[in-house]
Amino acid sequence: MTDTAQRTDPAPGHGSTPRLEMRDISKRYGGVRAIRHADLTVRPGTVHALVGENGAGKSTLIKILSGAERPDTGTIVIDGSEVTIHATTDAIALGVQTVYQEPQLFPELTVAENFFVGREITRGPTIDWRAQAPRMLELLDTVGLDRSLASQPLGTLSIAKQQQVSIAKALLEQASILILDEPSAILTDAEIEVLFGVVRRLAADGVSIIYISHRLDELFRIADEVTIMRDGETVSSQPIGELTVREIAERMVGGAIAEGVHKQGQHGEQVLELEHLTLDGAFSDVSFSVRAGEVVGLYGLVGSGAAEVGEVVYGMRHSTSGRMRAAGDDAHPVTPSEAKRRGIRMVPANRSSQGSFSFQPIAFNITIGSLGLLGRLGWVSPKSERRISDDLIRRLSVKTPSGRQPIGAMSGGNAQKVVLARQIVEQPKLLVLAEPTQGVDVGAKEEIHRIIADLAERGTAVLVITTDLAEVQRIADRILVFRAGRVAHEFPPTASQASLLAAAAGAVEEPAETSGEEPR
Amino acid sequence: MSTATTAAPEQSAPLSLRRILPPIVTGQEIVLLGVLVVLWVLLGIFTPAFLTPGSIGPLLVQVAPIALIGVGMTFVIITAGIDVSVAAIIMVSAVTTAQLLVAFDIPAIAAVLVAILVGAALGAVNGFLIAYGRVHPIIITFGTANLFLWLGLRVFDSSTVNNIPSTLEFFGRGGAGSTLGVPHSFAIAVVAVAAAWWFLRYAKAGRNLYAIGGNQNAARLAGIKVQPRLVWVYVVTGALAGLAACMVIATGTSTLDQSVGSGKELQVIAAVVIGGTSILGGRGSVVGTLLGALLVQTVVSGVTQLGWPTQLGFLFVGIFILIAVGTDLIRERTRRRA
Repeated sequence: MTDTAQRTDPAPGHGSTPRLEMRDISKRYGGVRAIRHADLTVRPGTVHALVGENGAGKSTLIKILSGAERPDTGTIVIDGSEVTIHATTDAIALGVQTVYQEPQLFPELTVAENFFVGREITRGPTIDWRAQAPRMLELLDTVGLDRSLASQPLGTLSIAKQQQVSIAKALLEQASILILDEPSAILTDAEIEVLFGVVRRLAADGVSIIYISHRLDELFRIADEVTIMRDGETVSSQPIGELTVREIAERMVGGAIAEGVHKQGQHGEQVLELEHLTLDGAFSDVSFSVRAGEVVGLYGLVGSGAAEVGEVVYGMRHSTSGRMRAAGDDAHPVTPSEAKRRGIRMVPANRSSQGSFSFQPIAFNITIGSLGLLGRLGWVSPKSERRISDDLIRRLSVKTPSGRQPIGAMSGGNAQKVVLARQIVEQPKLLVLAEPTQGVDVGAKEEIHRIIADLAERGTAVLVITTDLAEVQRIADRILVFRAGRVAHEFPPTASQASLLAAAAGAVEEPAETSGEEPR
Repeated sequence: MSTATTAAPEQSAPLSLRRILPPIVTGQEIVLLGVLVVLWVLLGIFTPAFLTPGSIGPLLVQVAPIALIGVGMTFVIITAGIDVSVAAIIMVSAVTTAQLLVAFDIPAIAAVLVAILVGAALGAVNGFLIAYGRVHPIIITFGTANLFLWLGLRVFDSSTVNNIPSTLEFFGRGGAGSTLGVPHSFAIAVVAVAAAWWFLRYAKAGRNLYAIGGNQNAARLAGIKVQPRLVWVYVVTGALAGLAACMVIATGTSTLDQSVGSGKELQVIAAVVIGGTSILGGRGSVVGTLLGALLVQTVVSGVTQLGWPTQLGFLFVGIFILIAVGTDLIRERTRRRA
């Protein structure tokens, strides 16, 4: 763990052969090159962090190793001999086990049963528990779970314990390489400690662990080495102690600088003001304001608490303490319908479940939030529905032959525009957008950003909540970085992506090249 | 390679299977049993005739087909499916068997086999459409129920089948239908429940049904052959509905009319749901289903014996269903929130 492994040089002078070497891996999906060139060397008994932004190629590399995808080029060497991994069963036979972020488990079955589903040891038609139990109980010890949990239905355990079960389950087959895909994303700090304990114990037993995480700060506590990916390439690989959070963040984003779309004009009156707002379990002591015509971006990693701020502003959840003034009223909006009455609108992140009526035509989806405008005495006039929807379809350049198409048949980008259109039938005073471009293609992303800028110029106060670094940098006039439920830092739009990422991922040092604002 | 083998050998606790397997009886089953006992005691006090063999015997005979089909339906609902075509399957199976009994006077064994095979064949139609068509089971079985009814009415050929011989009296209400006061049909249902209980608890194939209902995608990833299993549960349900059809023929008069079986699917689903099987899949027990069937029939018979208006039976069964589904959903929501 103290040796220095050079990128091109597979650990010279180090006694043992690497547990895993992936060399010159590339993979193309259709026209998209998911991985251009990747090398990964993992030594026995080490924790090897794999980091990169979304889309950098981490998951593809992991899928190749776990047998879910085949590489176009490259070789995989395990314990000195070249291997071919064509299916997940090949990987398992070679001792490669993967624990995915979402545990693939069965809530109604007991912990014990979850271990063996699909690979039960049987005697005749019945499950031979006497044969299965000893190994399982031993593995529960290994991951630090109490043996008495074996008979509990899995669904009654906390998420952290369920994850320990998935790790234990992965060890049921002989595992020499264990891939943990964002294991900490859904855990609390105390639960992360337990996870780290398990990981360290496994490493001490000689298991090589590939650890994927977006929380860069925690990697320094658990990883021995780190490989950084960017745009489908592995850009560096070295002992993690040689780097700082900031250096890792810089290598992850490279020199990428996106151009802002929003011209900073003068802003109007304050539309939203938060003072020491707290929602227990999500965020605490959050203070900021948004003015008319201003775009404020809340950026944070998944679980940072930024998403919940949007839900409180829109009245979906209620803060536990603090003050909020929204659209000229001192009280919180208590329900979304009250928020709407005050001119607050929201486009939720999960548009398929929260935002769209997929069997209904586009026109229906656009006008459903403002039927009061469409006629009198509760009647809906098809003519005005048509007029309003056609107008917005044109304004947002939704690509469709007519407003009569069902929204369910449209591409993600177009569907998102329709959901956005619904909220701007009447010019809102305050528009809250959560992950406005998640899962949409580049062209549509561009257009949605243009629409947001356009709305701000017409005087709407916009609050954009996103985990997309380039996005927040591009469209926001001010950027608040959330971390662990607090505003970690405020940045101007000129801040570099590396500074934003470092602040979100928990760099303790002062971001070097930004404005002189105080970290909060 | 060396994996984690840190567990100190001396630490391995004495192995008790009770600590690994789910509990033998669930809370809901105990509650059901309690409700059932209370009802029987109350009915015994207010209508002394209730707790006599002359009253309990017929009640058990009526419970038998519901509990029997309930076994299959429990399997189906555990896999997060449903089968609303069982009444239609009873009808087709009963009329086919009755016609053969009338026309060729086939022996009892042959009649039972025919009934079961017809039921299994119709169940296979359901199973293949559901497993490979990937359409929600309620849609599929609602559609096939109508097809089966059409098929059954073709076999009827007239409004009734008359002069059915008493070949199947082994399953009937009469003296030939019971041994030592226990109706054969009910005994068969209990044996089926016991076998299914063992199967769901100890057999790999049985445990896998819970996995399929709990998380079908994860079950597939875990290497369970989901589709053949799904076909199988609908075939079993159909076959049991066929056997139940024999009981229906035997307990009726020598005449079979076109309404045979109608409404049975709702009674069966009521018994399963009241018995604690989650309509969302992944959880349930056949013992609960048997208790649920007994409870439903006790309420219906009890209302009659008390001389109350029969429509009250619907009211009480309805309340039981809503309570059962309600507790299930509340439990699920609290679990999700936790």
